[in-house]
Amino acid sequence: MTDAVVFPKSNSRPGLKTWSTLAGTRKRPSEYEILTYNLHARTRDPQAPYEQDPDTMMNSWYKKHVVASPLTHPDWDAFRDPDQLTYRAYTTMQDGQEQYVDGLLEDHSENGHDASLPSAWVDALARLYTPGRYTAAAGQMASAYLVQVAPASTITNAAAFQEADCFRWISRIAYRTRELANSHADRGFVTGERARFETDPAWQGIRELLEKALVAYDWGEAFVAYNVVAARAVEEACVRQLGLAARRHGDTLTAMLADNQMKDAARSRRWTAALVGQCLAVESNRAVIAGWLGKWLPLADRAIDMFCAALPESPAAGEAAKAACAGFRRELGLA
Amino acid sequence: MAKVATRDWYDIARDTNWTPTYVAEDEMFPPQFSDPYGIPLAEWETFDEPYKITFRDYVQSQREKDVGAYSVKSAIARTEFYRKASPGWKSLLQLHFGAVSFTEYGSVSAFARMSRFARAPGMRNMANFGSLDEIRHAQIQMYFAYEFIGESRAFDWAQKAVRTNNWVVISERHCFDDIEHTRDVISAAIMTNFSFEQAFTNLQFVALSADAKKYGDYSFATMLQTIQSDEARHAQIGEPLIEIMLRNGRKAEAQKLIDISFWRIWKQFSVLSGVSMDYYTPLEQRELSFKEFVKEFVGNQFLRNIQALGLEKPWYWDEYFLPDIDVYHHAQQIGIYLYRATEWWDVIAGVSPAERQWLESKYPGWNDTFGQVWDVITENILAGRLERTEPKLLPMMCNMVGFELTGVPGKKWDVRDCQVDYEGRRYHFGHPVDKWIFEQEPKRYKNHMGFIDRIVRGIVPAGPDGVFDYMNMGEADRGNCGENFAWAESYRRAAE
Repeated sequence: MTDAVVFPKSNSRPGLKTWSTLAGTRKRPSEYEILTYNLHARTRDPQAPYEQDPDTMMNSWYKKHVVASPLTHPDWDAFRDPDQLTYRAYTTMQDGQEQYVDGLLEDHSENGHDASLPSAWVDALARLYTPGRYTAAAGQMASAYLVQVAPASTITNAAAFQEADCFRWISRIAYRTRELANSHADRGFVTGERARFETDPAWQGIRELLEKALVAYDWGEAFVAYNVVAARAVEEACVRQLGLAARRHGDTLTAMLADNQMKDAARSRRWTAALVGQCLAVESNRAVIAGWLGKWLPLADRAIDMFCAALPESPAAGEAAKAACAGFRRELGLA
Repeated sequence: MAKVATRDWYDIARDTNWTPTYVAEDEMFPPQFSDPYGIPLAEWETFDEPYKITFRDYVQSQREKDVGAYSVKSAIARTEFYRKASPGWKSLLQLHFGAVSFTEYGSVSAFARMSRFARAPGMRNMANFGSLDEIRHAQIQMYFAYEFIGESRAFDWAQKAVRTNNWVVISERHCFDDIEHTRDVISAAIMTNFSFEQAFTNLQFVALSADAKKYGDYSFATMLQTIQSDEARHAQIGEPLIEIMLRNGRKAEAQKLIDISFWRIWKQFSVLSGVSMDYYTPLEQRELSFKEFVKEFVGNQFLRNIQALGLEKPWYWDEYFLPDIDVYHHAQQIGIYLYRATEWWDVIAGVSPAERQWLESKYPGWNDTFGQVWDVITENILAGRLERTEPKLLPMMCNMVGFELTGVPGKKWDVRDCQVDYEGRRYHFGHPVDKWIFEQEPKRYKNHMGFIDRIVRGIVPAGPDGVFDYMNMGEADRGNCGENFAWAESYRRAAE
């Protein structure tokens, strides 16, 4: 028989009150912070954001477009989405919104809404509304770029929900495109949107703005070009002003869908404002952002003018849309 | 008028490509991200996702999935369950949440790269759901882990692992950065969605879920199942891409992507799932051995899938993969137990007499090989020589996998170090397949410093705590024997 061995004392490791990374915070962390804060691997080592040769394609891309961006901040992880959206909060919220949109579509369908629209306005929808799925697709891509390069997980998640919002509107516009084609077979719904987006003068400013924003690969410029400028120009012209024109033409459905889309836009603006606010706390960023705005605003204003000029009976639409975009920038302290 | 049926508008939502003219097409879709294979756009536009779901249906079904998981009642039950769980199950949860949560979060960005750069609108849309799914998987697993954080500090690693240089985490990053994050979106999707998600997530999520249910951890089982239901959907991005590659004369390239990624993921899951199933899961609750799971879920199903697509099984299948199922995780389990202080979870030996009997029955010859090492460990513990169960020397590690170079000990001794000299540096690999992967694209892997390289080159601070400081592991972060060596006592009792 061997001698009894005394094993070491209890090896249990005491637990913590919260993640160690949030332990110093004064307030009790919210569920949003617990599930969103400080989760990126790629921000760990500026020499090799990805765990491989420091000069591989992706390491070089990230170092050039994110690490070396002129937009700087000592702690990007300090960013918080003002809406504090988690995944389940997002799906719960958007399930509710989609239920509302289902109701709108069903009510209007039952009332023979599309068949009762004035003929000229149906043409306006074919020209100015249903090609909008391309702008939403551009928004989906622009947001997706931010998701994968953003230097903080809190920014990544906000951009991911924005990307999903764009997908939401690609889908709803696609639905409406088919529905309008069912009532108005001869107006080019379903078949004509791409050509309109590519060649109709009303869309060319918007298309130029979006294509150029999509190739702004510096992450900071991508954020400013899309979130501060392009997304707002598209919303004010192609959603809000289109919605107002729709209401004037008895098209309550397009108007109400536009109102609903503007709820997503408002959320995007809230986090955009929060991130711009964080950027402006670093003095050098003001000139960087101003430089980018100098490049992007003329394109945006021209895009708004070209689109709004085509809106029927909406002589003030262009000025109103530009003023709204300028108002947003003022709120951000970028006037 | 009636509601428009989904099939009548779905295609319009994936008819969103236009021809850019204000910027060059290659600028908007750089070939390095969008398509290094030079396949015509019209071909990519034939991409047809097998599983179709709309945004509207997605948010509804996903909201419903989450309702039960997040209920307060389940949370209380989970914490109670954890307190009463066996040491093995506790360790399994600690390992799982630390190892898995951050890789799920990384995938959010991998899918976003597809949504930005894929030429096929249907792929962009499906990848958009993929990004959302992966946010869900990161968040629900961190949420579960957070419930246990008051019970053990090990669960802090569900949040902090990603930013540390813990050697296990470096290994995971090296693998997933390689296949998911640093290639064009076609290659990354084939490697991630096809090789990884179709072949292997089944292991951790379906197989472990079955074990969890047997063990009575219903909420863990259900969570794993709902994750796998998302994976099964977005994993389908891979197949149509392979079909397009094959139609356009890129079979060899598709095959190589699969051969590389399958092996890389195999090594990760062999350790994560292999150790969890064959050593940590309490004996009476084990559903099947890891080997049986791999043969069914990986071997048979994956082979069926690749052959149905007109591809071949990876070139190393018979010679290297099948034999590896018998040995790799057993060898790693020894190192994991011995180097426990460098891991965030409390390790489990899993080699009591009854467990060894089970191991021998499932892996004939285990006693004559791995068992011989455990004989020595057991003797040392029984004699109170615990210091001999924690090696002071650091092991050689594989420059591809990032784990210890291992082989088969005991009577069938077979340990090898495959080497490559490249640009004045010697690289070490644990297996000919790891060496082969390096040789396919040395520029991708060269100049990466593995954990041991970092020590040798002085990147890791010197001193007794240097390694731990470098890994961001204070004393309380370091793993112990989860059973406090009580498992060895059963041998003493048997001897008496």
